[in-house]
Amino acid sequence: MSARPRSSGRRPSRGRGVSVWLIALLVALVATIQLRSEAEVQRSLVGTDATSLAFLIDDLHRANDSLDAEKADLTSLRARLQSGQSGAADQVLQSEADRLRAIEGLIAVHGPGIVMEIDASGLTALDLQDALNNLAAGGAEATDVNGHRLVMGVPIYQTSDGVAIDGVTVSPPWTISVIGDPNRLGLIADLMAQQLRADRRVRQATYRVEADVVIRSVVSAKPFVYAIPS
Amino acid sequence: MSPRHLGSAVLVAIVALATGFVLAGQIKAQLLTPSNQLARYQALVRSVQELEVTNADSRRQIAALRGQIDTLESDAAARSAQTQALRNQVSDLRTHAGLVAVRGPGVEVDLRNGFPGPDTGGQTGYLINFQDVQDVVYLLFAQGAEGIAVNDRRITPLTAFSGSAGEVVIDQGPPQSSPIKITAVGDRNKMVAALDDPSALPGIRARQIQFQLHLTFQGSPDLALPPYDSSLQITHVSPA
Repeated sequence: MSARPRSSGRRPSRGRGVSVWLIALLVALVATIQLRSEAEVQRSLVGTDATSLAFLIDDLHRANDSLDAEKADLTSLRARLQSGQSGAADQVLQSEADRLRAIEGLIAVHGPGIVMEIDASGLTALDLQDALNNLAAGGAEATDVNGHRLVMGVPIYQTSDGVAIDGVTVSPPWTISVIGDPNRLGLIADLMAQQLRADRRVRQATYRVEADVVIRSVVSAKPFVYAIPS
Repeated sequence: MSPRHLGSAVLVAIVALATGFVLAGQIKAQLLTPSNQLARYQALVRSVQELEVTNADSRRQIAALRGQIDTLESDAAARSAQTQALRNQVSDLRTHAGLVAVRGPGVEVDLRNGFPGPDTGGQTGYLINFQDVQDVVYLLFAQGAEGIAVNDRRITPLTAFSGSAGEVVIDQGPPQSSPIKITAVGDRNKMVAALDDPSALPGIRARQIQFQLHLTFQGSPDLALPPYDSSLQITHVSPA
């Protein structure tokens, strides 16, 4: 008689024990899955985050569009040369010479763009280089700072008197005139102006979009001394 | 209920409560999202890879087209002195624009990532970024470089640098990362002296100390630069 109650008391206890073990197992399982999932995500994002990849895709799309346009232009140019029409080669070469002179800053140019005014004290050559690079990344096709034509390759450096462009000190305020896609340049100039205004050294940073910016300054051509075409 | 039964019940309740908390945390953390995130991430990576293949293919085609045009121009120039004179002008302009391969004395600069410090948190100062490349390129041009290439991508008058941490994008090329090799042809001695100057490239020098960023350079009597292989279009500029 005494064994029954004991026996009946053990069965629910064993059942509860199994329940506890099952629940504990479930907890361990869920915790493991959670930790491994998080570790997996962290591992996968070690290189580049998704936002950076999205920006990269956008940049590559734009780059590939530019390359497609260049291919189309070159294909058309090749067709003109292959046509064998009288004077076709001269026309192609003359047009190419004019285009390259504009790219290299050797002739005066005009077109839509922006004009940016920066009044500041203590800005350095690095600041000007950064500003010009931002504008170049925004599609600048011709640039002038205080009457000095700038293309990549024109020396910009720091001297004891301030920032020098090709050996001439350029004191603030800086007027940066840029020709290119006014919409893209406007967005870049807006961001730059906001950042500059947050800089204690900057008294004023403004920009305006213009339908026709005229750049009369030119880069003086320098023959290569060391580099030989190969 | 006996104390033993009560104890068991409490234990079951505690374990159940813990399970509930873990499950709630799991749902809040969206257990299934990581796998979706992973799939999305992989899709983005695939897109980048496909676009890079297209990019490389386009640049190859552009280089081939420029070669064919050069041959056609050369044929036309052989038939006319006027065309030959024009072609000589264009050749010189193309050389200065970076559209022609050049060689000559110069300097090679190597930039490599450093190491993340133990107390730098999320800082990426140990990575080579596009501003570092931009700074070196501007320094070399200011000190007599006549032509520069970055990881065999030629710099042109319209070149722009961009990118995010650890990535360097030059013009329409694909992103590049450490190691970065900058090759400059020009006044070798002047460029080497400028790179030797401890006051030059202050941003890189500071991170050399903090993150062991790697900057080395070597002069050479003969270096080669490839021609530019991307777009050099100007669609908004007209002669004044």
